[in-house]
Amino acid sequence: MLDNLGEDRSIYLQISEMIEDEILRGILNEEEQVPSTTELSKFYKINPATAGKGINMLVDKEVLYKKRGIGMFVQTGAKARIIEERKKNFYDTFVKKIITEAKLIGIDKQELKKMIDDSKEG
Amino acid sequence: MSVLSGKNIVKKYGKETVLKNVNIEIETGKIYGLIGRNGAGKTTLLSVLTAQNPATKGEITLDGNPVWENEKSLSRICYSRELSPVTMFGPNNFKVKDYLNAAKAFYVNWDGEYAKELVKLFNIDIKKKISKLSKGMMSAVTIIIALASKAEITILDEPVAGLDVVAREQFYKLIIEEYSETGRTFIISTHIIEEAASLFERVIIIDNGEIKFQENTEEFLARAYRISGDADAVDKATEGLKVYHPESLGRNKVVTVLADKPDENFAEGVQVEAVSLQNLFYAMCTNEGREAM
Repeated sequence: MLDNLGEDRSIYLQISEMIEDEILRGILNEEEQVPSTTELSKFYKINPATAGKGINMLVDKEVLYKKRGIGMFVQTGAKARIIEERKKNFYDTFVKKIITEAKLIGIDKQELKKMIDDSKEG
Repeated sequence: MSVLSGKNIVKKYGKETVLKNVNIEIETGKIYGLIGRNGAGKTTLLSVLTAQNPATKGEITLDGNPVWENEKSLSRICYSRELSPVTMFGPNNFKVKDYLNAAKAFYVNWDGEYAKELVKLFNIDIKKKISKLSKGMMSAVTIIIALASKAEITILDEPVAGLDVVAREQFYKLIIEEYSETGRTFIISTHIIEEAASLFERVIIIDNGEIKFQENTEEFLARAYRISGDADAVDKATEGLKVYHPESLGRNKVVTVLADKPDENFAEGVQVEAVSLQNLFYAMCTNEGREAM
């Protein structure tokens, strides 16, 4: 759970990303129930329609599915789908940014590669 | 779905025109935020919409029926006004319970149990005189009346003014809980925007007696951008768009723009960021060249 939502992006996107993150981290497992729209909207003090939009986005992406009368659940295979999508966006979202910043402060590609090789982050 | 609608509303107090040809539509089943600066006309608009105050011109209807002196329409609406510690006759010596009893008599769907719960939650002594309440407690009483009225359309005028941060959070949670359960319509006016913005499905911006925007909040923000960078590049990128609150710092320029549609593409070389409702509102009002009061 995020402590607070930011203002830099649409709230429904932040909600859907947060749920995806929790699936990736194993906080939410496949076939497990996710918080309801009402729970989410109360927790983050957001309009239920907004929370619903975030959830529905994940239904469209086949990450969540609805069990009638019970609630929303994580689909089997959701984790793999999220990883696949994020891998596709990884270059645009992260690598490009790093290269732009590196260029700005004069770190060349060699140096950048070495930093990654020597990184202790795993 | 029902519609509370105001058409071509003009309200004058003497020579001063407080509402200038306002058109507004409230569809039931949504939470609305009415945003405006102090003196923008929020309270006047709300009191005119709920027939507590006659419009100089224009027409207010609920599902096509006039609201003015129409008991049937009015019984579906609750406008919980701000309480005043003084009345025309001196200090307001009514007690909280007098107000609650009056509300009970007035609102057909009054929920006494819910009112009791809320009184406990906000820690209100109902035997206290209104004139002896703190500002926060007075706000709490208006909130209690609004929620317990169970009216189909419930209007709260600056409900969080005077509430401390704990009570404000409680208030937002109560609104969401009640809305989730019942789907009642809430119209909440405020000038404290930041913390309430994400509560509103639709936002109505009133400025200087005119409604500038009434739109889905997400969609509204999706077409607002903060553009910054080299002044020439910013000018070029924002050409033909409505620009608010330009600011310069050396050769740098920052503007807020409202595009016609979301996902507008801007020329390379400028930085494009999202804008919060508060900052968008600030940019719009600052643009008019009026300084803070």
